Amino acid sequence: MKNILTIFKKEWDRVIKDKRLVMSVMILPGLMIFLIYSFIGNATTSMMQPDDANVAIVNAPQSFINLYESVEDLEILNTVFVEESSEELYVGRIDEGNWDVWIVFDDDFETYDGTGDKPGVRVYFNPNNSQSQSVYNRFSGYLYQYQNALSLALYGDTTYFAMDIDNTEINQDIIAGRMFSMILPMLVIMFLFSGAMSIGPESIAGEKERGTIATLLITPVKRTEIAIGKVFSLSVLSLISTISSFIGIIASFPKLFEMEGIDSSIYGVGDYVMLLLLLFSTVFVIVGMISILSAYAKNLKEAGTLIVFVYIATILVGVTSMFSESADSRFVMYLIPIYNSVQTMKAIFTFETGVLTYLLVSIGANIVYAGILIFILNKMFQSERIMFAK
Amino acid sequence: MDPMIHVDDITKTFRLSRKQQKIEHTSDRIKVAVNHLSFSAYPGEIYGLLGPNGAGKTTCLRCISTLIQPDSGSITVHGHSVQDDPDAVRKEIGFLTSDLKLEDFFTPNYLFDYFSRLHGVDPEVSQARKKSLFSRFGIDKFAEVKVGELSTGMRQKAQIAISLVHDPKVIVFDEPTNGLDVLTAKVVTDYLKELRDEGKTIIVSTHIFSLVEKICDRVGIILNGTLKKTLLLGDLVKNEEDLENLFFDLVQEEAGEA
Ligand SMILES: Nc1ncnc2c1ncn2[C@@H]1O[C@H](COP(=O)(O)OP(=O)(O)OP(=O)(O)O)[C@@H](O)[C@H]1O
Ligand SMILES: [Mg+2]
Repeated sequence: MKNILTIFKKEWDRVIKDKRLVMSVMILPGLMIFLIYSFIGNATTSMMQPDDANVAIVNAPQSFINLYESVEDLEILNTVFVEESSEELYVGRIDEGNWDVWIVFDDDFETYDGTGDKPGVRVYFNPNNSQSQSVYNRFSGYLYQYQNALSLALYGDTTYFAMDIDNTEINQDIIAGRMFSMILPMLVIMFLFSGAMSIGPESIAGEKERGTIATLLITPVKRTEIAIGKVFSLSVLSLISTISSFIGIIASFPKLFEMEGIDSSIYGVGDYVMLLLLLFSTVFVIVGMISILSAYAKNLKEAGTLIVFVYIATILVGVTSMFSESADSRFVMYLIPIYNSVQTMKAIFTFETGVLTYLLVSIGANIVYAGILIFILNKMFQSERIMFAK
Repeated sequence: MDPMIHVDDITKTFRLSRKQQKIEHTSDRIKVAVNHLSFSAYPGEIYGLLGPNGAGKTTCLRCISTLIQPDSGSITVHGHSVQDDPDAVRKEIGFLTSDLKLEDFFTPNYLFDYFSRLHGVDPEVSQARKKSLFSRFGIDKFAEVKVGELSTGMRQKAQIAISLVHDPKVIVFDEPTNGLDVLTAKVVTDYLKELRDEGKTIIVSTHIFSLVEKICDRVGIILNGTLKKTLLLGDLVKNEEDLENLFFDLVQEEAGEA
């Protein structure tokens, strides 16, 4: 036990006392993710920001103006009220894509009494231009509504019942949670892996390549203690790295989604504790895998190559969280490493009621896997062919 | 007196990769590095393994130090079997070879404490030992400099001190003066003699005749993995024999056999 601590402490010091590593493992991940996602958020919102809608209207009835003004965003709506004589000018502009919609109401529009010729509305737009098309879609909608309203006024109240539609109050938390649960599990697994990947190979394959592990192997420290000490410290460090990334992503969410209420405050302390426990058990499995590949590899480069394959496989498993609305409900599935973490995270983020069972099954399974991986690593430390391959 | 180290008929082979086969210009898949080798070393003596490059010296020392295991034969250190109880052997032995490196990132001071703890040395004892070893090898001047920033010689001094954190009864030293200037080499050889006089068992490997003549009490000449002859240095002096000539005779004999 004392030896495990000694080895833990050395691995810890190796990272913590190295300013470059502290930056690259603990500070940069969160910072970079925050900056990148905030940037993506800003970029996409400005991309989705519609341009001004340009509408020219002749003889606009006041009631129609009231109708569309109650719906449209007036900051980006540019309406001009013009004479019919300027038709050629606006039609030309629309054809060139410089104007969106032209609407002409007949003179005596509002005085129609239901007899004789119906008054007309003419509309001109450019379907080749998406902006024009979209403004037209909206305004044709207003026109139909307006038409309905006028018809009603004409024939009196022809409806037989009044409708009053109501719905369940929208729960912002559940909607936000579903959004988190689509993206976060995959990202968190990626953070865990990349955190472990940035220190694991160095600590085992690197030590092997440079011959420093042999210095450790001639001490009377049990190989199990070396394996546990290394895996523990690498796990804690990777977890810190993950938390840094996690904070970065959570902090960038409001910017990414440009939506109120999409932030980490929808989750309580309990949710975060569950998440932390889950991640801590998961990181052991990931570090265990990385350690074994690093111990197997002849040098750092080979370790990197081997680990990338597992990284890709892990990401593929993480992506499964994007294809389902809710967590997998089959318990056996929670025995599959990585997949269990992804699904349990999904359950945590979507406030699922069965989450505690998923969590316990996953943690239990992860502990067993970590134990097996440490056992294998211990055996590898004992093998001279693996440790002293030339 | 019982031998402190008893090497009994050990053989060690390595499987060669394609690349290694090319380097060694051989089509054999297997390289016999140590071939039925036996010798003993006693407390209070420096035993030398003398042999040319590739003779199997380092391989033999690595077997004694539990880093690798012989294919056949047995080794005991202070009665503990290297194969059956390696941890007990590791407690008794200090192994020094250029294959064992210190981590560049840490300072000699840090690493001394680290390995002391791993060897379970009492902190107070460890501090006193550190003080005396560091001043002995002049490490105090660079105790707080990262190993990566030390010169080869400084690094080797730090390595020597750190391999002795647990004050081992047995010291196994591969090429003790390799890469050291004459002054440092003398500090090291003087220290080895001092340790011998304290009753420690010391095995060194080398291809340098003068080193053998300077510090060894007995020497085993090893060629192609086999121990050809064991000599008492005292006898050589008495008989006015020259170690170098004896060695070349053996090499010629070996070449004739082959
Ligand atoms: N891990 C290994 N794999 C394959 N061959 C090896 C291995 N280790 C040593 N050998 C071979 O075993 C033989 C003996 O090597 P060893 O290092 O013991 O020689 P040495 O006497 O120490 O030589 P030197 O004076 O050059 O240090 C050499 O031919 C070497 O190539
Ligand atoms: Mg050698």
